[in-house]
Amino acid sequence: MAVLVGRKIRKVYGKKSTAQEVLKGIDLEVNKGEFVGIMGPSGSGKTTLLNVLCSIDYPTEGVVEINGQSLSGFKEKALAKFRREQLGFIFQDYNLLDTLTVKENILLPFSISKLPKAVAESRLKELVGLLDIEDILNKYPNEISGGQKQRTSAARALITSPTLVFADEPTGALDSKSANALLTNLEKINQQKTATIMMVTHDAVAASFCSRVLFLKDGAIYTELYRGDKTRQQFFQQILSTQSVLGGDGYDA
Amino acid sequence: MTLSRLVFRSMRKNVKQYYLYFFALIFSVTLCFSFTTLQYNPSVVEALELSRTASAGFKAASYILYFIITLFVLYANQLFMKRRSKEIGLYQLIGMTKGLVVRLIALENIVLFVVAVCAGMVIGYFSSRLFAMALLQLLEIDMVINLAFSQEALKQSIIIFSILLVVIILQLVWMIRRVSLLSLFSATKQADERVKRFSIFHSVMGLIGLLLIAFGYYQSTMLFDVEKSAMFENLYLHMLVILGSTVLGTFLFFRYSVSLIMNTVRANKKGHLKVTDVLAVTPIMHRMKSNAKSLTLITLLTGLAVGIMTLSYISYYSAETKARQVSPYDYILLNNQGNEFIQQLDQEGVEYNIDTYEIATVNLNIKDLVSDTLQDSPLFEGDSTTPVISLSNFQQRVHEVQLQNEEAFITSYADIIAEVLPIHAGREIVVKAGETEIPIYITEIREDYLLSNIVSYGSPLVVVQDALFEEIQENNTEPERISSQIGINLVHEGDKEKAEEIYSSLADQRTVELNDKYTDTFVQSSYEEVRKQNVAVFGLTIFVTAFLGLAFLLTTGSILYFKQMAEAEEERESYNILRKIGFSKADILKGIYAKQVFNFGVPLVIGLLHSYFAVKSGWWLFGSELVAPLLIIMVLYIVLYTVFAVLSIQYYKRVVNNSL
Repeated sequence: MAVLVGRKIRKVYGKKSTAQEVLKGIDLEVNKGEFVGIMGPSGSGKTTLLNVLCSIDYPTEGVVEINGQSLSGFKEKALAKFRREQLGFIFQDYNLLDTLTVKENILLPFSISKLPKAVAESRLKELVGLLDIEDILNKYPNEISGGQKQRTSAARALITSPTLVFADEPTGALDSKSANALLTNLEKINQQKTATIMMVTHDAVAASFCSRVLFLKDGAIYTELYRGDKTRQQFFQQILSTQSVLGGDGYDA
Repeated sequence: MTLSRLVFRSMRKNVKQYYLYFFALIFSVTLCFSFTTLQYNPSVVEALELSRTASAGFKAASYILYFIITLFVLYANQLFMKRRSKEIGLYQLIGMTKGLVVRLIALENIVLFVVAVCAGMVIGYFSSRLFAMALLQLLEIDMVINLAFSQEALKQSIIIFSILLVVIILQLVWMIRRVSLLSLFSATKQADERVKRFSIFHSVMGLIGLLLIAFGYYQSTMLFDVEKSAMFENLYLHMLVILGSTVLGTFLFFRYSVSLIMNTVRANKKGHLKVTDVLAVTPIMHRMKSNAKSLTLITLLTGLAVGIMTLSYISYYSAETKARQVSPYDYILLNNQGNEFIQQLDQEGVEYNIDTYEIATVNLNIKDLVSDTLQDSPLFEGDSTTPVISLSNFQQRVHEVQLQNEEAFITSYADIIAEVLPIHAGREIVVKAGETEIPIYITEIREDYLLSNIVSYGSPLVVVQDALFEEIQENNTEPERISSQIGINLVHEGDKEKAEEIYSSLADQRTVELNDKYTDTFVQSSYEEVRKQNVAVFGLTIFVTAFLGLAFLLTTGSILYFKQMAEAEEERESYNILRKIGFSKADILKGIYAKQVFNFGVPLVIGLLHSYFAVKSGWWLFGSELVAPLLIIMVLYIVLYTVFAVLSIQYYKRVVNNSL
């Protein structure tokens, strides 16, 4: 069953004279329980695509449907509610509020949606166990490491049991060890909780955790790879070779 | 690109951030200049010639005004420079020397300042007439005010503002020279406290802050309470203690108590925060370190301004009541003098009511009526001569009072004297008429004023049964200083002008002739004359204090607004995060409203509380009406603060809208 459907998505920035077409008619479908990676060189439109799909940005043309609901019909308030209840977000720069403790950051979405405290607590307990951040719940973001911050951010994204989790370069600011730990956690959550995850990354290692990887080039889908039964190592090699075909400037880090 | 083009470019770009500063600057220059012009306006000078203190008061006020404006401009300038630190860093990064950057920013400031000063002076010149009219209205002087240009005022203002400009530029140079390139880029973050845990020290200091304020308030209620306070002899020391504990308490309150209270509330939620906690409580808590000083200053200035304005308004407001105490009737004739006045009133066909009083005196010791703790006070050595009238005379004014034999009551005992030396009814005292001692029982203490203060000399009045009054008269062998009073009230308010004219034409008959024993002379004034004198003195006071209060209000309000602008910019990132994860604009604004209520409300409420207790402790020194003047001034302040809060919310709205 398709959780996320994108049809003929176009995105144009700028006014008529200086218009720049960033997305040139993208079609895609994401099924429930998938862990989809989006890769591509800088300027290929990865982040723009993600922003359009997750309702932070509007497509110039085309339709985005999540769980069969088209995003274009929503007003600001309804859209915010939809994001809060159906979607989860993990960003490169963590996006934690410095003035809140880890626990408060994770429970942030519930500060407006009403949920019984006991339910929230039990979800919190399960997630922090999975992500291994029980010990830092009462610390402030500036007291914990980057990896812990990103796992906190992941916990916040997952606490509402969203239909779909969007991750924008979640490992971008992490060292390789923390990055691996986070990705392993995401993979685990993807499998154990059948959470659907969509992740933008330029890191082939990160992409190799996915079940499917889309390659973007100049605003269009260039190709896609399925992991299938391959080991992570094999999938990683396959991603690397696709990247080199895509262009020598594949690494923009 | 030339330097001047760069300057104008960046000014155009910054205009949005600057415009409130710009308007505030114009407004303060307007205020200053019109105030200075006003002093030199010939009509005003003429009107104020009578009052010698006027020019001294004006001078003092204008210095305070300059001082406020200097503080304000320096503060605002610092705030804006901090926000532009990135821009300054960028200029240096592309290879400009610090000297060049200083010149660039200085040039920009000079242009801004000169434009603001010129605009302010033009507006100030025209508005000075408005203010002059307001002043003369307050003084109840009918006079046409001409717009007058004063070279003296211009010279004085130009000198002051030039000095201010030099100070601003020195501040710029100092700010730019002092900082390194690296710290320039992170200047906006430096002001914030790194998020820290709350220690025991915090809690203790927070508690001490609250206690100090409470102590100051409690002490202020007993400042003039002779019965409870042993510190009456050390009045100044006592005042200093109150002032010190309140000021220190206010600072500790903002620095520690606010975080303490908020942290307690928040800790109780165990991680399950509401949107207002996220957007108001926690950011405020973590900003208290950098905001404590300015919030303290603003709170104290607000308290000071409201307090002073209220006291001067009380004086003005009480001008009539005070005049009624000096001259309880519209016109008073003593010792049967000036009966020609009544004849002339009759001739002119003016209707009036007449009350006549026979006056005797007794010697009594007020000591017998004060509470036990004051019995030993040296204030009450010996007897004092006190006027007495009969009950039937008293009933001309107040009908419902009754007395039994031997009973008496004391009246004309109110305001300052009643506050400082409270006396109690329900006791028997002995009064002396001549050589005879007469015991009387005091049934009550009243506040009615009936006799001219030339008769009473400020002492209270004893009212006794008619029979007893006659007995006193018989026993008094010495002739009375003043033995009778005729009180005249006009029936129609419209006749006042005519009556005043007659009364003033009889000036030579108004010198009160006392009996031969007394050599001093008194001139009786009509109620209207006394009231006008009061109005002239207090009208000027209220005008000057209102002017200063306005300046205080403007500066404190703007500073709060500027701070909120800066905070909004710093929190843009948080709003971005929240909107991404699904907070709607309306949700975020809910939190922002709460934050504004705190930011504007708390300094306002605490400032008002401070002024309330300050005014409460000694308002009766200034007049006889507390509630109305206090409420009027407070409501005025609240309304104007609300305007600033609304402006600030508008700014936040823009930031939230643009954050995603």
